[in-house]
Amino acid sequence: MNNSQSNEQYEVLSPWADVDPVPLKGISPRVASLAGKKIGLLSNRKPAAGPILAVVEKKLKERYPTVETSWYEALKISVPQVETEGKAAFEKWVENSDAIITAVGD
Amino acid sequence: MYDAVSIEKLTTPTVTLVNNDFAMDAMSASSSQGMPGVRIVPESVPCESSIMEEIDAGVSAAMDDIIAALTIPLTGEEKSPRVVEVEKPSKIIFKGNLEEVNRFFYQRGWTDGLPVIPPTEEVVAEMLTGTDLPPDHMVGKIIPRSGKATIEKIAINAVMAGALPTTMPLLIAGVEAILDPRSAFGTWQVSTGSWAPFWIINGPVRHDLNINSGSGALSPGNIANATIGRAMQLIIKNIGGARPGIEDMGVIGNPGKYTMVIAENEEESPWEPLHVEHGFKKEDSAATLMFCNSINHMFSYGTDAKAILSTAIYNVKPARSTEWLSSFLIIPSFAKILAKEGWGKKEIKAFISENATVPYYRYLHYLRYTSVSRDGVPGKVPKNMPINPEDPIRLIEDPDTIMIFVAGGPGNFIGMFEWAGFKEVNFLTKKLNLPANWESLVEKYKGLKPTYARY
Repeated sequence: MNNSQSNEQYEVLSPWADVDPVPLKGISPRVASLAGKKIGLLSNRKPAAGPILAVVEKKLKERYPTVETSWYEALKISVPQVETEGKAAFEKWVENSDAIITAVGD
Repeated sequence: MYDAVSIEKLTTPTVTLVNNDFAMDAMSASSSQGMPGVRIVPESVPCESSIMEEIDAGVSAAMDDIIAALTIPLTGEEKSPRVVEVEKPSKIIFKGNLEEVNRFFYQRGWTDGLPVIPPTEEVVAEMLTGTDLPPDHMVGKIIPRSGKATIEKIAINAVMAGALPTTMPLLIAGVEAILDPRSAFGTWQVSTGSWAPFWIINGPVRHDLNINSGSGALSPGNIANATIGRAMQLIIKNIGGARPGIEDMGVIGNPGKYTMVIAENEEESPWEPLHVEHGFKKEDSAATLMFCNSINHMFSYGTDAKAILSTAIYNVKPARSTEWLSSFLIIPSFAKILAKEGWGKKEIKAFISENATVPYYRYLHYLRYTSVSRDGVPGKVPKNMPINPEDPIRLIEDPDTIMIFVAGGPGNFIGMFEWAGFKEVNFLTKKLNLPANWESLVEKYKGLKPTYARY
């Protein structure tokens, strides 16, 4: 790279794309305690997600015996639930939960 | 993480458990959806673990954090995240010699590790002669970063890859393919499965661009095969923002992500071309996309139809998901033998689907479904699983998920590509739109080809 040709100067354009600013949104208020709450467990169907959440469920109930749990299993791996035919059922399940724990299994 | 964002939007608090090494990926995903504050709990359970003791230990260690993530009140930043100013770089990003430009681009994470051609205004302007679309035309936004895929940005990345202006119609069609929601690009490009976009090109453009369909078509040495895939990968990385180990979590990685492009040898095929099978006219030029993570070169059991088809059915691997698709590359000589013995594509697909079986105990999901330690979710065992471990299970249930195309040189091999499935469709093919100056452009660049000296 020491020959004269390598010293030719190049003014180069950026390959990195512009992006539109994304409107930012805050997350939802937390619950004061998990005692007596309906806790949803969302598995994305990766192999470890179910077993991880099963352990979470067990340990949660040990700490909070009055916790109620309900499960939702993704219809397809890696596809957002709101983009599936199960969107309405998913949203209803979310609305019926006081808080949700998700595991991606990775 | 997209589900966590959906849940928070429905005003239900959530926490997501992710493996420690996926924390960055999770944060990029939630930020890209406008919700950077989504709470995650990094945990130490090895990815996709099937060892209950590991899972128990990892979850136990994370329980306090899980509970805290659902109960500790929000910070001000979590309630109302601050807007981060988007970088507005000047049009000219850098000035330097060849080595300096390459170092600058590499250090920014804008290359594939190989040297690039400096994208000067002059060279990019020449690249733009490959399309009638204006430079500021936006084909769409590429995820995960939602970068604007303008014609100019596509051209800049094409220059860097060393592509010729005649590749622009293909690259634009390629961007259209990955932007098609049915492609599930957002999943497969960053998946742990290391899926690489594989492009099969049909129609007259194969000859206009000298795309190799013969011996060594997937090997280095041909400017079209080499640069079309490379340009697409740079587009995906620099416009879409999928970077290895940060958003692209491919476990092993894939050399196909440098480039993976082949043309179908329509002239030597006894069957209708792939793009015609997918609804286009023979005179159209088209690109078919698949997300491929393996190429198997299968040494054929013989050269007669029975041996060729036996090779296919006995070598579909059992460590595959039912959601994967399979493509078989049939070399021209084998295609002619099969056709001569009455085998069309439809019959071959049906035969493979019916006969590619393994005993159930060898199948990917056998231990998963029968393991006592993995019964966390009730009803996970599919109803169609065999009862006895020795019973056969079909590896490709739907013959329509099989793709067959003709390429490759003389020899005794069959190619098998396994790839991730799309949404709603089995195959995705996009037609190329050629610019008005196409003939003169082809005339200008078509003669560029290597001449190998005899020795």
